[in-house]
Amino acid sequence: MFYGIDLGSRSVKLVIMDHNSVQRSDIFETVQFYRQYGQSTPEGLVVDFKAVGMGANRDVVATGYGRNTINIVGATVIAELKAHTVGAIWQTGLSNFTVLDLGGQDSKVIKVRNGKMVDFATNDKCAASTGRYLENMATVLGISLEELSSYRENPVELSATCAIFGESELIGRIVEGYSVPELAAGVNYTIFKRIKPMLTALKSETVIFTGGVALGPAIAQIIESELGLQVIVPKYPQLNGAIGCAVHGREKRG
Amino acid sequence: MARIGMTTTVPVEIILAAGHIPVDLNNIFINDKEATRLVEVAEDAGYPRNICGWIKGLYSVVVDRGDIDMVLAVTQGDCSNTHALMETLELVGIETIPFAYPFDRDYDILKLQMDKLITALGTDWDSVMAVKKRLDQVRGKVAELDRLTWQENTVGGFHNHLYQVSCSDFNGDVDAFEQDVNQFIMQAQSATEYTEDLRLGFIGVPPIVNDLYDHFEKMGARVVFNEVQRQFAMPYHVDDLVEQYRRYTYPYGVFRRIEDIKEEIEKRNLDGIVHYVQSFCFRQIEDMIFREKLDIPVLTIEGDKPGKLDARTKLRMDSFLEMLR
Repeated sequence: MFYGIDLGSRSVKLVIMDHNSVQRSDIFETVQFYRQYGQSTPEGLVVDFKAVGMGANRDVVATGYGRNTINIVGATVIAELKAHTVGAIWQTGLSNFTVLDLGGQDSKVIKVRNGKMVDFATNDKCAASTGRYLENMATVLGISLEELSSYRENPVELSATCAIFGESELIGRIVEGYSVPELAAGVNYTIFKRIKPMLTALKSETVIFTGGVALGPAIAQIIESELGLQVIVPKYPQLNGAIGCAVHGREKRG
Repeated sequence: MARIGMTTTVPVEIILAAGHIPVDLNNIFINDKEATRLVEVAEDAGYPRNICGWIKGLYSVVVDRGDIDMVLAVTQGDCSNTHALMETLELVGIETIPFAYPFDRDYDILKLQMDKLITALGTDWDSVMAVKKRLDQVRGKVAELDRLTWQENTVGGFHNHLYQVSCSDFNGDVDAFEQDVNQFIMQAQSATEYTEDLRLGFIGVPPIVNDLYDHFEKMGARVVFNEVQRQFAMPYHVDDLVEQYRRYTYPYGVFRRIEDIKEEIEKRNLDGIVHYVQSFCFRQIEDMIFREKLDIPVLTIEGDKPGKLDARTKLRMDSFLEMLR
């Protein structure tokens, strides 16, 4: 068995894989995970992998917030963008594409050619194109994240250079009388506008869309229609980084 | 003998020839143990949050530290925020002298600017040229230190940065600085060679964060080219002082800088370029030109306040090295 763990800013993703498929997966809320299974020691973070049902530490490959920032005792740590590249290749079988990963507080765009990362971009110091932004906006609109992520017709214009001011701007639009579908579509378009320059700079014919934000259909459809690109949401969009870790472990062990 | 603050590199020969002490305000700011607080001092005074951290640091060095007699401010060729910096300094009673690099590198206009500075500080061309001769000896030694970095591989990225960046004001004391350089070179000549597998070039303004070079070296890469810092050290070997400041690439258009960078990429056998941009700086726009014109992987990193690299930037640096490997 091969064990992958992706310590994200909002959630921790675990996968257990055999040579061909994902056997088990879990998603924990980050703070809860650290509280329940983690223990900080002078050597680094000790995770009770047994308690979460994984193998010995030496079989675990981990990724997360900076290779030097996380230090899981005994585990192999790989760079986050590498994990996402490997995960996307394994999930799709492709070798030329652009990964778009929209996670809890990060957006990443990775250009892959012949199975290797050749360029990448990440969001600037702002969460306005991430899952956290969508969660806040869904709360303001009083709808679920799933519902929010289904609208794309007749978007209202929102500028959203800031995730926080975006909320008050949205409230202003609500007061002006726009419908929830129009407002939600506007929110999804702001995400598109933030990632469009990165996707254009690191363009491929095929975009592999991962991260929690890829679970809803609207943003993928907007990218397809606005940029004329093929968007593939793999089977496990949220687990892509963790899968990349497990696959890396498998390749290393041979 | 006055202490004359400079907002960036200016013809320092003129300040020294006039018998004054040049003080690069950037160096004072970034080496201050309370650099973060200096930024806050400017914000408390009314500088907006979404303005470059350097300009705020420069303001506070003058206003808060209080041992600068006069400020020589570069009003063209550096940063247009300098205009408001001059005005806010004037507001609190600090005397300022403007200096402008002509955008088109016009020889006569540049010479006129230098003439005016010579008059303003009360010196003459003969004294200025005598100082130039003296400084050229020191600059030659710093150029050797740079060579030891990329050719002999015995100097790390940080010291390469530090000694070259210090050539804007020679730390206010040319003789003491030269001795320091001598001593460093002596150590470097017998130092163990670096054996990193990736060689990087650093382009853009000097970083506001203090652990960038160390982090790269920890990750098995080394900066062997510091573009703007090397320009501050003026390794041109020309006799004409006006021509020297025309060759200096930093204050003029970006395309001459790109020619210089391309030459050094070849010469120093670089694997990748790190383009540092300061938050809220107009030079962030120029990033797209570098990406278009440089045929080598480019990582753009952004810094805002003084201090350490943040986790996200480290993640991006690590991934870049991974990509180059």
